[in-house]
Amino acid sequence: MTQFVESTVKFPYKRSLGPVIGEFMNGLANMRFVGIRSGDRVIVPPLEWDPDTGEELSREYVTVGPAGTVTAWCWVEQPTEAHPLDRPFAFALITLDGADTSLLHAVEADGIDGMSVGMRVAPRWKAERTGHITDVDAFVPGEDPVVPDGDLGPPEEPVTMMSYNASVTYSVPVTAYESNVRVANEEHRLFGLRCPVCGRIYTGGKGYCPIDAVAFTDDDEVDLPQTGTITNFTIITPVQYPGQTETEPFPRVFVLLDGFDVVLGYQPLVDCANEDIHVGIRVSARWVTDDDGVVMVWSPNGEDDVSDPELVNRIN
Amino acid sequence: MPTKDQIAIIGWSVSPMVRHTDKTEVQLLLDVITGAVEDAGISRADLDFTCAGSCDYVAGQAFSFVQNIDAIGAWPPKRDSHVEMDGAWALYEAWIRLQLGDIDVALATGSGRSSTAAPSSIYPMEMDPYYLAPLGADAVTLAALQARVLLDAGKTSERQMAEIAARNRSDAKSNPHAQVTGDFDVDGLLAEEYVRAPLRRHDLPPISDGAAAVIIARGDRAADLCEHPVWITGFAHCSESHYPGMRDLRQAGSATAAAAAAGIGDGPIDVAELQAAFTHEEPLLVEALGLSDEVSINPSGGPLAANPIMATGLVRVAEAARQIRDGGKHRTLAHATSGPCLQQNLVCILEGAS
Repeated sequence: MTQFVESTVKFPYKRSLGPVIGEFMNGLANMRFVGIRSGDRVIVPPLEWDPDTGEELSREYVTVGPAGTVTAWCWVEQPTEAHPLDRPFAFALITLDGADTSLLHAVEADGIDGMSVGMRVAPRWKAERTGHITDVDAFVPGEDPVVPDGDLGPPEEPVTMMSYNASVTYSVPVTAYESNVRVANEEHRLFGLRCPVCGRIYTGGKGYCPIDAVAFTDDDEVDLPQTGTITNFTIITPVQYPGQTETEPFPRVFVLLDGFDVVLGYQPLVDCANEDIHVGIRVSARWVTDDDGVVMVWSPNGEDDVSDPELVNRIN
Repeated sequence: MPTKDQIAIIGWSVSPMVRHTDKTEVQLLLDVITGAVEDAGISRADLDFTCAGSCDYVAGQAFSFVQNIDAIGAWPPKRDSHVEMDGAWALYEAWIRLQLGDIDVALATGSGRSSTAAPSSIYPMEMDPYYLAPLGADAVTLAALQARVLLDAGKTSERQMAEIAARNRSDAKSNPHAQVTGDFDVDGLLAEEYVRAPLRRHDLPPISDGAAAVIIARGDRAADLCEHPVWITGFAHCSESHYPGMRDLRQAGSATAAAAAAGIGDGPIDVAELQAAFTHEEPLLVEALGLSDEVSINPSGGPLAANPIMATGLVRVAEAARQIRDGGKHRTLAHATSGPCLQQNLVCILEGAS
């Protein structure tokens, strides 16, 4: 039975609005819809270029709406977390008065029977607006915009950026060999797979040789030695992006295993100051338990260095 | 007749389509690439160029396409490329690449494990990041809006849409790769609840995991390698505005333009495999492409029977090629689409030897 592992990935995007979309978003903050003129047409929401010809538009803005007409709609009986409302609503294409194109937004109506093509809708504004498409909470049936009690007004400064925080929960299979690696780690064995074609050895449970594109079988399993020699290293100064847990410079080393013609890349090294790391250090595996379970790290084992000027050239 | 430098499909492979595979994307690709090179009677070493279509958002991993290269056989080094699009566009790039004339054999793949996450949480991220994504505008919503426009314009009906679903599912019974097959009563389908009105479950494609691989070869090499090459005699794609409110959703203008650029009018079409993932898209595409009543539409069951995102379009090419090599048809059409409400459309026209 294949196991699946679940993980939630967050996508915290920050984007520049630019002049044209910025005009629209700042309009929303001021409870106003702004379109852009393209020839005889007024395009809402505004784009920087004409959608048909690709010509850059002169920055001639036109206030449209606030009411408009529904030209298409669909009914969302079960909203998702990404949707603007948490109760049944319609997504609709709305041609705002004075516009020649339509805006996609939510409409909160009195059930699916309250929706029709041609119906009139007006915006229901949020009290706290940030210059974002969701400054309109939803459109509602009728001609008159709904202005909230306790209106907080627009932001003090014009808005130039927007945030978009998406989140996706993924479920991916753990392959049989990845499971084998976890079991081996718990037993403090270094699990490898040897390609039956080229003889290269892989750790980490990769179930195939990427050179020969062949899938491994149980006959290809091999227990690898837990001692070796550092052939190369780097010290990484962590950049503080979201999800980065390292705060101090840390090493990654390449280890040539004893008795096997295999170099393991990007290995963690402990018990060794960064300034003392050099090519030729003899190391042994140590097994430690962290959030991911039992994992292997390397540490110097006190044996004499290997002095071999060619060692540094070994990267695989 | 094809010219010396024309390019032909010489082999392909399509994986089984399932709701939830226990294989990784690399494993899916290993299988179909092995299948395609065997089908073509060549080895991986014969591939001069490879191009993959896949999506990091679907995979849930940055640079997932780099890992996917493991399935190709990375030694000796190959010229490789990737499109963050359906594999049909990977095939388009491979077709363009071979026309440079210095290499002869190329592989295109499409792969997607749609089951990695809820599609409704993934697809908004691929929409306009300012106006659409923050509203959670997912694929079903956008399709439902276009369906409403077509219903309102009298270009289809809910009954016709149910009939299309029933026909595709019935046709899919003879497709060993299909996921949703069987005989369904139209009245029974129409009695079901809406999923996103005006769309019911049967108007939506299934969520499928799968992959496909297609191998092409140029000119004399194609004829040398393959007894029955399927010649690509027209290939084009066109796009419209990404924002659905800017477009006339009663039309699929970029499909019409791509078909004209691919030379659809040069002869009759026997079979069309259309990436009509939602029922209402079929009559819209049939009209946009100018297909007559004589044309058999999606005899494989189409995307309504199996919809491996990022591979669905390339599967259409494989199925259209199958109609020629194995089905004895003369001239077939494969269509692929990308973006909201059929924003971007690709047309590939295939012909047999005589």
